[in-house]
Amino acid sequence: MRGRRFDRRIFLRAASGLAVALPLLPSLRARGQAADPIRRFVTFYTPNGQIHSAWWPTASSGTSFTLNDIHQPLAAHQSRMTLLKNVDLQSAGAGPGGPHQRGIGTLFTGQYLQEGDFVDGCGSTAGWADGISVDQVIAGQIGLNTPHASLELGVRATENDVQGRIAYSGAGAPLPPMLQPLDVYNRIFKDLVTPDQSGTMPSDPMLAERRSVLDAVGSQIAELEKRVSSDDKQRLDAHLTLVRDVEHRLSQTSIACTKPAQPSTLDPTSETDMPTIAELEIDLLSIAFACDLARVASFEVSTGLNRIRYPWLNSMGEGHPLSHMSPDDPDAHSELVARAQWHSGLIARLYDNLASVTEGDTTIADSTLLMWSTEVSEGNVHSHTNMPILLMGGGWHFQTGRYVDCAEGGKNPSHCDLLVTLQNAMGVSATTFGRKEYCTGPLKALT
Amino acid sequence: MKALTARSLGLCALWAVACTNTPATMPPDMAHAGSGGSAGTAGMSGSGGSGGAPVCTSPSPGVAPLRLLTHVQYDNTVADLLGDTTRPSQQFPAENDVVGFSNNVAANQANPRLVEAYQTAAESLAATAVATRLGTIAPCAAGTDNATCGSTFIQTFGAKVFRRALTDGEAGIFNTLFNATLPQGYPKAVELTLRAMLQSPQFLYRVDAVHAPTTETGAIALGPSELASRLSYFLTNTTPDDTLLAAAASNQLATTAQVEAQARRLLETPRARQMAQDFLGQWLGLARLDGAARQANDENFGATELVPDWKASLTSFLDDAIWNGGTVNGLYTSPKLFLSSKLATLYGLSATDASTPVSVPTQRSGLLTQPALMALLAHADQSAPVLRGVFVLQQLLCLDVQPPPPNVAAVPPEVDQTATTRERFAQHTKDPNCAGCHVVLDGIGFGFERFDQLGRYRQTENNLPVDDSGEVLDTGDTTLDGTFSGALELSQKLANSPLARDCIATQWYRYAMGRVEDTTDQCSLSDVKSRFTSSNGSFRELLVGITLSDAFRYRPALENP
Repeated sequence: MRGRRFDRRIFLRAASGLAVALPLLPSLRARGQAADPIRRFVTFYTPNGQIHSAWWPTASSGTSFTLNDIHQPLAAHQSRMTLLKNVDLQSAGAGPGGPHQRGIGTLFTGQYLQEGDFVDGCGSTAGWADGISVDQVIAGQIGLNTPHASLELGVRATENDVQGRIAYSGAGAPLPPMLQPLDVYNRIFKDLVTPDQSGTMPSDPMLAERRSVLDAVGSQIAELEKRVSSDDKQRLDAHLTLVRDVEHRLSQTSIACTKPAQPSTLDPTSETDMPTIAELEIDLLSIAFACDLARVASFEVSTGLNRIRYPWLNSMGEGHPLSHMSPDDPDAHSELVARAQWHSGLIARLYDNLASVTEGDTTIADSTLLMWSTEVSEGNVHSHTNMPILLMGGGWHFQTGRYVDCAEGGKNPSHCDLLVTLQNAMGVSATTFGRKEYCTGPLKALT
Repeated sequence: MKALTARSLGLCALWAVACTNTPATMPPDMAHAGSGGSAGTAGMSGSGGSGGAPVCTSPSPGVAPLRLLTHVQYDNTVADLLGDTTRPSQQFPAENDVVGFSNNVAANQANPRLVEAYQTAAESLAATAVATRLGTIAPCAAGTDNATCGSTFIQTFGAKVFRRALTDGEAGIFNTLFNATLPQGYPKAVELTLRAMLQSPQFLYRVDAVHAPTTETGAIALGPSELASRLSYFLTNTTPDDTLLAAAASNQLATTAQVEAQARRLLETPRARQMAQDFLGQWLGLARLDGAARQANDENFGATELVPDWKASLTSFLDDAIWNGGTVNGLYTSPKLFLSSKLATLYGLSATDASTPVSVPTQRSGLLTQPALMALLAHADQSAPVLRGVFVLQQLLCLDVQPPPPNVAAVPPEVDQTATTRERFAQHTKDPNCAGCHVVLDGIGFGFERFDQLGRYRQTENNLPVDDSGEVLDTGDTTLDGTFSGALELSQKLANSPLARDCIATQWYRYAMGRVEDTTDQCSLSDVKSRFTSSNGSFRELLVGITLSDAFRYRPALENP
């Protein structure tokens, strides 16, 4: 196991009624600091753009800036924030699909959409994004030695097509988010083998059995491959790779970590349960990071064409229609800003949690890089320019605590450049991401 | 589903000019595929239209890739194989929807979490089965050698799991695992072998083409085992039963009559009714009712309190309409309501119980007036004429509807106690920027104004009389186009409409094939529609017709190596 030291226990704020008890992370045997510091990465999506007049800081760019309304919940983490102005989602400007589809498809992939049968605006149709998402590239780099290469989490992201997917393991291969905290818990913690009273890790009785079963499954795949078409053989090869991944991870499941309490079953379609689900998922993600059970995640709050209300904010408009209102409409403005503040609050909750876990000389909040954005810049016009993008963390790779205008010579860079920067920050050394024609290299404003 | 604008039938012309990538015409070869199977535009009917009738002399089957069991199929299959009704798929990642259907083969491939979930499910299923049913699935008489019993288990139970006899290679792999585990005891050896069976692709995928691709060309009739699986998984969403497996093993699925007899037999099983509900739920988009808040000032229900009652009510109605009434006409005109006591009180009707229908012919006519559907097609605090119009055009007529353009306030108008919903929504058709579409959408949607967001029937709204006159425009179906008075008349129009009938055939065909129709489906879909029409819209005949179509019974040849 990777040597890490938790100098203090993790304290997760328990929102009223939350079922997650505070897990007490044991003091692990100190083995000194690891040679390679552990880094973590999150993509964070919320729908329908932002109200720009409440998003951008009110003072000029630089290290001294005043947070606008939407970011107030993040005030304690201002030094970890990087607000990027004048970055465009250029790769959303072409290819199949409507503006919501193209936006969400390219946001973390830098790709066009494939041809397909998902119906959207202007008589157009589209398929899935045509390439891997940045979180999955990073998971391939830093997620291989944790029990879960990545976690896909979502809150009321119930649109099961291109509108509802932000993570892709490859072209046309979306990864659906988990919407039920109990499922998240079961996947991460249910079978977790934890140390006994003396701190000794017991052997996993399931390990040998699982290995022999998966060996037989692998042989059956090979047997079937002898008699199918080449297309089907490709499908079976892909399936075999996934089985091998499961097998590989069997040996990664022995982790010294105290399990959190099991959450109760909630309704992923319920507007009443929505805030509890969101907070539980943030907390479970925090614990997964703290216990090094995963280092990469995506987090998706609802989807572009949603019709949901946020009754706990007294915001009773239906999401997507609401976002079509003029941002100057006072009711729409206040409802959309309230929702965005609540989204900010989820990120604040994550960073509060992470900041309570020390690792070496710092906390894991300082080793976690997060990108928050949305599929259109402004909901009422479906624009893809000057995207509202917030980065959290990443101070090891670029200077944080800044409001940065990324335009150069009157031209806005493509968000593909930002994706390059993100993968570089996470140890992936490539110089392009997504469609090459939109990439010039790492985002200059962050170099 | 390409070139959708040709399906928009000239609707929304004002918006189309603001849009990019709007092809002016649909390529002739895509006419059928893009038509939703039944576009109202002249000359683009399922029989090929102005481009000339399709040549239907020999089968032209579409792609037949490996297809994962759907979640419903997985749950039914393990229930029927192992008696395990825990529905393991509840822990599987969500399925992806294409044109509303979550069984689309191309959109649903294995992913990391799914393969993990298969492992978890297999472990749980195998442990339970061995603990509770070992003597049934893997009997071993006293005195018989355990390895021999294991070999028998693998041959017999394995054939049920794989839905065909195992090859020697497949049996050998399981025997190796079984015998290596046997030192830990017979039950453990059965358990691990069962776990491996339940994670093997031969179980998880339906495999249509499993013969060595040596010399075959053209269209290949499915083998008996493969056809048996297609029949049972389409009509009953589960593994072939013993009768079907026996028919396959004795080559009794070779003729049309034999296939038809099996199809008719399967259609009378409870699983067929469940299949219909699964299809109907996806076609009608009923999942959107989950979590939908619906409230009214004069009622004190929780925001989503009525949803389970509405769903149960609609399920009962659909079951009755599809299997007892059995025709399109009944689906659109049956005046029955199935009401829980809560709903009966809400609607001011007296109901014996939720399984005994109340007939309300002066207020209700079929699917469109069902409380669940009216509540589904509503906003939280008011009816939704636009959503109702879109639903009729898109789901019931297979016509395309474009979403509102940017910079349009697509919010329902504020509730106003001094006006009717219709008056408030009238802005749509006054504003020339909106009228292009809304005259079409609202013209249909206003016809439902006698039903509010709770599915209640009303004569007045805010003490003002409700105007539920409407008009259907530009569908190209003369039985539909024109003015009508209220949902009852609109339902009668739909009951008589070839466009509506063809659309049902197209939708169920998509569900059956697990894909959106394409050019290879022209002849088969045309046959299916014809049969449906000549049976006066009988749902049983539609389902039998799909199983008898070439697309269902043939696959393309495997390529030569």
